[in-house]
Amino acid sequence: MSNQFAKVVFALTAVFFTLFFLWPIAETVRGAFVGADGRFTLDYIAEVFRNPLYLEGLWNSFRIGVFSTLLACLIAMPLAWMSDRFVFPGKTLLGALVLVPMIMPPFVGAIGVKQILGQQGALNALLADLGLLNPQAPIDWLGEGRIWGVVALIALNLYPILYLNVLAALANVDPAMEEAAENLGCTGFRKFRKITLPLIMPGVFAGGTIVFIWSFTELGVPLMFDFTRVASVQIFHGIKDIGGNPFPFALVVVMLAATVLLYAVSKLTLGRSSHAMMAKATSQGGPRDPGLAVRWFCSLTFSAVTLLAVLPHLGVVLVAFSSEWYQTILPSGWTLSHFEAALGHNLTLPSIQNSLKYAGLATLLDVVLGVAIAYVVVRTGLAGRQILDALAMMPLAVPGLVLAFGYLAMTQEGKFFEFLNPAVDPLVILVIAYSVRRLPYVVRSAAAGFQQTSVTLEEAAQNLGCPPLRTLRKITIPLIAANLLAGGLLAFSFAMLEVSDSLILAQKQQDFPITKAIYELYQLLGEGRFVASALGVWAMAFLAITILGASLILGKKLGAIFRA
Amino acid sequence: MIPITIEGLHKKFGEVTALAGITLRIEKGELFFLLGPSGCGKTTLLRHIAGFYMPDSGKILFGDDDVTLVPPHKRNTGMMFQSYALWPHMTVAKNVAFGLEERRMPAAEVKKQVAAALESVQMESYADRKIAQLSGGQQQRVALARALVIRPRCLLLDEPLSNLDAKLRLEMRNEIRRVCKDSGLTAIYVTHDQKEALSISDRMAILDGGRIAQVGTPEQVYRRPLSPVVADFIGETNFIQGKVRSREGAAGFVETESGVFEGVFADPNWKPEPGEAAVLSVRPESWILAGSRAASNSIDGEILDSIYLGELAQYRFRAGAIELKIVEMNPHLSARARGHRLFASANRDDVVVLKP
Repeated sequence: MSNQFAKVVFALTAVFFTLFFLWPIAETVRGAFVGADGRFTLDYIAEVFRNPLYLEGLWNSFRIGVFSTLLACLIAMPLAWMSDRFVFPGKTLLGALVLVPMIMPPFVGAIGVKQILGQQGALNALLADLGLLNPQAPIDWLGEGRIWGVVALIALNLYPILYLNVLAALANVDPAMEEAAENLGCTGFRKFRKITLPLIMPGVFAGGTIVFIWSFTELGVPLMFDFTRVASVQIFHGIKDIGGNPFPFALVVVMLAATVLLYAVSKLTLGRSSHAMMAKATSQGGPRDPGLAVRWFCSLTFSAVTLLAVLPHLGVVLVAFSSEWYQTILPSGWTLSHFEAALGHNLTLPSIQNSLKYAGLATLLDVVLGVAIAYVVVRTGLAGRQILDALAMMPLAVPGLVLAFGYLAMTQEGKFFEFLNPAVDPLVILVIAYSVRRLPYVVRSAAAGFQQTSVTLEEAAQNLGCPPLRTLRKITIPLIAANLLAGGLLAFSFAMLEVSDSLILAQKQQDFPITKAIYELYQLLGEGRFVASALGVWAMAFLAITILGASLILGKKLGAIFRA
Repeated sequence: MIPITIEGLHKKFGEVTALAGITLRIEKGELFFLLGPSGCGKTTLLRHIAGFYMPDSGKILFGDDDVTLVPPHKRNTGMMFQSYALWPHMTVAKNVAFGLEERRMPAAEVKKQVAAALESVQMESYADRKIAQLSGGQQQRVALARALVIRPRCLLLDEPLSNLDAKLRLEMRNEIRRVCKDSGLTAIYVTHDQKEALSISDRMAILDGGRIAQVGTPEQVYRRPLSPVVADFIGETNFIQGKVRSREGAAGFVETESGVFEGVFADPNWKPEPGEAAVLSVRPESWILAGSRAASNSIDGEILDSIYLGELAQYRFRAGAIELKIVEMNPHLSARARGHRLFASANRDDVVVLKP
């Protein structure tokens, strides 16, 4: 019975992944390698590497990826280390607050950053006020240094992913390992470098890989900074003539190859070096009191990082409330009218509705698929269940941009999936796009739930006359509800904030989700950026309420959400 | 009340043979133990009876009812799990009511039966507690009530006492026997604790490497083990290697380095020729220590050391090349000092001749 169920789940999942994961990738790869005459060709790929414009775009994407990852590491590792080792004032609250950036889309923050760092922005105004700058010759902070603006914004948004991974890895290190090093005379930074760092390396790379793939293919932030010489933006602009232009295909394939290669290399070289702890921790490590000075230093560092990370979003909030903000430190006039305008605009209300609809349905699909896959992987002895597990994790290695492009390519006129063409109605393809990318999180959190829940609890129910599927509903699901809620919430938030799928696949105004509406509003002259900011604030408030509500339901387990 | 019949049960997990042809009949109303070292297949066999495993071949019958292919939820067995498997998201009463609700019993009736079941295990005042608020012993009682309340065809107990402390264990094993006998249920009890099995079982099966090594009452298994494995697993024993000299019916003579012993053959199917190798099993408490040689089955040696435990004493005794464990009730310690030379003898009835 349960074996039959396992086979059905396996088959359905395999079909789903073939249609909506492998197919779009295959369609893209085909576009890159098949010429107009229907023959195999390497010309397009070669052209990507010959054309200086494309080369520069790839090089910039690569630099954004590398520097964002490094910067995120630099921010996250000290924070994680402090949190693991020390007690300090406000630790619980500060530990939760450093995660806040993750629930806000960075490209919305870009509006705020431009307001602050633009030529007529707040920073120049401040410097001018202090007499350090001639207002007639403002510094263009985002001019040539635009790439650093992109890097900083992405890193400040993604460091929580690394923070959580490193923190989890540190918690797993048996304190006796470090005590042994100290016993042999190795202390301080040397001990960290020779003992601790190698032990937490798998965690660092697990987080680092996700951050790199994310920033390497980030579309929203460079787009908002008008930074066009980035591969992701070039692809986005190439979509307008997707029917006749093979180069976006080639560019996508190059990026896909790069990420998959990186993912495979990091899995092979670093996944292997994950050192199993030989024994259970023998001594109680736990954070200790480092003394007054260090204690406050930790609190200050956490506060400073959080403040820095939400600065762009504070900028957005200020923009949303301002009637005029030009060459001044703070807005020179205040108004609430943008919020009304945002709700009254014919773009906004439908976009909120659309986002709720897309993200809600995608989350539902994720939870159903995630529970089924996790059940088969953890609970059944089905041959090939590891394949299923690996299949469900693959979307982590494939950038959203690549998949979004693939979905668009496979639903063009004359293709098999023409009936799902997003230009007609993007509902189905957007829901699928949203859910495929977030499936790994839900599968992981559901699998963790199954692993933590003893199988005898299910057997006891069956023994008392409860059939397997009802057991799942009456016993297992309630027991892993916290995990499912956490995974589902994460999937929902990320879907609400989704950028690449939304920008690429939603093509008609009445189908726009929030992110695309913000982007379009921002392009409007005049009131545009104010109304876009107001909509951004509505979105942030909405997500904050969602998270808050979940934290009330989950109680103290809120932290577990982001550890899924 | 039904008998349970197991016929030729085979099960392999990958390359590992877990059950290698188990055939067994458990009489109705019997408290039957499955006993053996870890990995012997006892839990695997119990899980086959519960339906969590399907055998590769063989049959399981509840009465005349072939349940071999019936899924667990349709077998109507009451199982007590080693970890109790009480659901933490339900109260005590909800846990006990679960099986009745699955059987679509009217709510009023469920309430009545749950109350009665909790009363029978003296847990009636804990009905609204969460599982996490109970002690180990209390959880154990709830698990028992939950298994019994559905009026199962048989009760399956998987090492139910292994998570309790020693004192509670003694108390609960008598409690389990009382409940089984009161309800008249056929019960199968898995354990690796021979004391549990000897003290409360009607009969037991000793498993070894997926096979049944012996089935019998506690006394049969203890006094007449069929193989060295059983003799060694149940209680303590002394093995003495030798060769069969002669055999007459159930009794016979075996020649050893320390002289000729007269003993009984436990396995009627083993008919050794004179000269064939045999091993003697003599329990430590069967030896009688004396200052002079007894008429038969006597060896001389010396006390190596002794442990005095009040009502009894344990000695290490060396006789030639062999060393014996000897237990003496009501010990005379003054004559048992280290280095003391003595004679140890055993009655013919206490010397079991086994095929090595």
